[in-house]
Amino acid sequence: MNFFRAAAVLAFAGVAAFSTAQAPAPAAKKPAAPAANSCIDCHLALDDQRVTPPAKAFADDIHAKAGFTCVFCHGGNAAAEDQELAHDAKKGFIGKPTHAQIPEICGKCHSDAAAMKHFNPSLRTDQLSEYRTSGHGKKLAKGDQDVAECASCHGAHGIQHVKDTRSPVSPTRVAQTCNGCHGNDALMKKHNLPSDAYAKWTKSVHYAARAKGDASAPTCNSCHGNHGAAPPEVASVANVCGTCHATFAEKLKTSPHWEPFQEMGLPGCVVCHDNHGIVRPSEAFLGTGPEGKCSSCHDAGSPGAKGAEAMRASLTALAKETAVTRETLDRAAEAGMEVSKVRFELGQSDDALTKARGNVHLFRVAAVREDTDAGLKIAKTAHKAAIKKLQERDYRRNGLFVSLGLIFLTMVALVVKIRTSSP
Amino acid sequence: MAKRSPSSSPEDLSPLAAAREWARDRFAVEDLQHLAAKKQVPVHRYTVFYYLGGMALFLFLVQVATGILLLLYYRPSSTEAFESVQYMMADVPFGWLIRSIHSWGANVFVGVVFIHAISVFFLKAYRAPREMTWVTGALLLFLALGFGFSGYLLPWNTLAYFATKVGTDVPAQVPVIGHLLSRILRGGSDVTGATLSRFYGLHVAILPAITTVFLGLHLLLVQRQGMSVPRKIEREGGPPKTMPFVPAFLMRDMVGWLAAIGVLAALAAFFPWELGVKADPFAPAPAGIRPEWFFLWTFQGLKYLPATVLGIPGETLGVLFLGAVAAIFVLIPILDRKLSRAWNAAAILLLIGAAILTVLALMPVKGAA
Repeated sequence: MNFFRAAAVLAFAGVAAFSTAQAPAPAAKKPAAPAANSCIDCHLALDDQRVTPPAKAFADDIHAKAGFTCVFCHGGNAAAEDQELAHDAKKGFIGKPTHAQIPEICGKCHSDAAAMKHFNPSLRTDQLSEYRTSGHGKKLAKGDQDVAECASCHGAHGIQHVKDTRSPVSPTRVAQTCNGCHGNDALMKKHNLPSDAYAKWTKSVHYAARAKGDASAPTCNSCHGNHGAAPPEVASVANVCGTCHATFAEKLKTSPHWEPFQEMGLPGCVVCHDNHGIVRPSEAFLGTGPEGKCSSCHDAGSPGAKGAEAMRASLTALAKETAVTRETLDRAAEAGMEVSKVRFELGQSDDALTKARGNVHLFRVAAVREDTDAGLKIAKTAHKAAIKKLQERDYRRNGLFVSLGLIFLTMVALVVKIRTSSP
Repeated sequence: MAKRSPSSSPEDLSPLAAAREWARDRFAVEDLQHLAAKKQVPVHRYTVFYYLGGMALFLFLVQVATGILLLLYYRPSSTEAFESVQYMMADVPFGWLIRSIHSWGANVFVGVVFIHAISVFFLKAYRAPREMTWVTGALLLFLALGFGFSGYLLPWNTLAYFATKVGTDVPAQVPVIGHLLSRILRGGSDVTGATLSRFYGLHVAILPAITTVFLGLHLLLVQRQGMSVPRKIEREGGPPKTMPFVPAFLMRDMVGWLAAIGVLAALAAFFPWELGVKADPFAPAPAGIRPEWFFLWTFQGLKYLPATVLGIPGETLGVLFLGAVAAIFVLIPILDRKLSRAWNAAAILLLIGAAILTVLALMPVKGAA
């Protein structure tokens, strides 16, 4: 509950400062228990579609639960029963804030580090300054009324904690919230932005991981930021992807591709992997074939294309050998053979394949081959062991048939003896 | 002891006959021959059930033989048990065969012992003077279950580990001494390497020693009293004929034993007993934990009990009920006689027996489902 108290105090401090310029900001004080709240009483009684739903929604708002009332954001006098006195501009009444006002209103509390730290020292207070660096903030500053501000994403009167699944910016809902505007064809066309980002993302490996329940898989704000939302700059793409895919990003930066990409203004990882519609990479990416990613820069038969095909051939050979060995082992295991030791050894071949695939980002054939050759050696040894297991299975079964034959003959002999010796 | 004829000297005999003479002088072979020749087996329409005892004995000896061979490689510690069985299954020549026959054989053995007990019960072969044969047999059945329970843990795999956790929780429900019993079984408050050591000791030393005593007594009683003839056959005027145990009955026994060894070998070759995954005491219990099939009925039965009955924990009642069933099972010959004197309750006893059998048969099916 400390968080709510903190939020309440901060909101009180910020809004009070905003609404009454003369009054000192009562920072880090818990808002006094509201006396009669004429705002809610009147707005509920009015039954006006314009003002009643916000009054209703506010009852469930995180701020209301912390003791805030309408005047913290809208100004005015909640104790007054007369509308004119309640909406007194001298009391800071602003009515419905404009787009441009909203970040400032929220920021009055949420940017006050001194107040916030009393209650939740780990709570960030840089949202407003981040927002001002965002695409949204910059455009808002220029007077663009289409862009998102705090309320566009968090809501205005029914705000919930960001981890609450009812919040539009909770990790499970934030993508749909972004898509509310960024999936709007007309709006995006007006701002010369693509409107298919969400549709592409839903076909990506990141979305698939989320759908499987991996809450750490990236959604919009993982790459673009939230309050400072902006497309990563070309030079920053590898850094953004590298927050999760650190090894690959580091390898790319030491590869022969890094400098040319920078010079040509190519956006690092996105050149081969796309941005929103990132699909599972495959060996087919390497080369100039239909799925190849190299043809945009390298002609077929060029040294670059040949290098890519050499890497693909090495990876494919290892993947195939590993798969064939695994299939052989599966057959042996189905026959009841003990194969766990060989399986463990084959796991090292998987590791080599994973490492080799990662080394593709070095874009050096030798670096990939070093691991694929080591993996192939392991896979071939495991394959021999797997075949030996199948031979052992056959040996057991053949031995069984011979033994059963002998047992059967002995039984027949006994039965004959029993019959001949019976009186 | 039979004396050698003074007319014959060792020099006059063939090597085989000389060896026979040598043995006859030292081991009273003639007495044994006489005993064997005297032993007759009644022949009637229920004679087939006489083979079950011999089959159970044969399977027990298979378990002893394969168990001794497994001892050569098995290492009874929580860090090495799984790996040693894995090594047997993968690298030791015919290790897979010995271990699979031992595991399959254990199940077939318990099954045969159950059928043997059921046939004796329904044929009322426990009647006087064979009460003690039944009592020793019933105790041997419990010992067989003990072998199964203790042996299940020895490979130290996940399934066995968690099934043993559940299994050793059951004695804890016994009033007053339950927790002590559970601690004694486990060698501590939880199933650990100490439990494995205890179960190993039980499986290879304590239970075999006790079994040797009761099995010897059981076989001695069978020899002394001969085969029981069902009352129905007696009422019909007794068995129409008999056959000598040696060689006629023994040869028929051997046909069954050969068939059994063939079945075990086939099971081992086509369905080697799985080893599973090494037990990890810190891992959460996996889905599908179950004991051996012969304990499924208790496992399932305890699940169906309500949390409390008249303020007594349901599981405590369940364990007390199991104890009562076991006691009744051992005392069947005495109960049958007493009940029969009071009122014609033999049929009721049979019905109860049949009902318990049905429950025993259905519970594993339900558990497997």
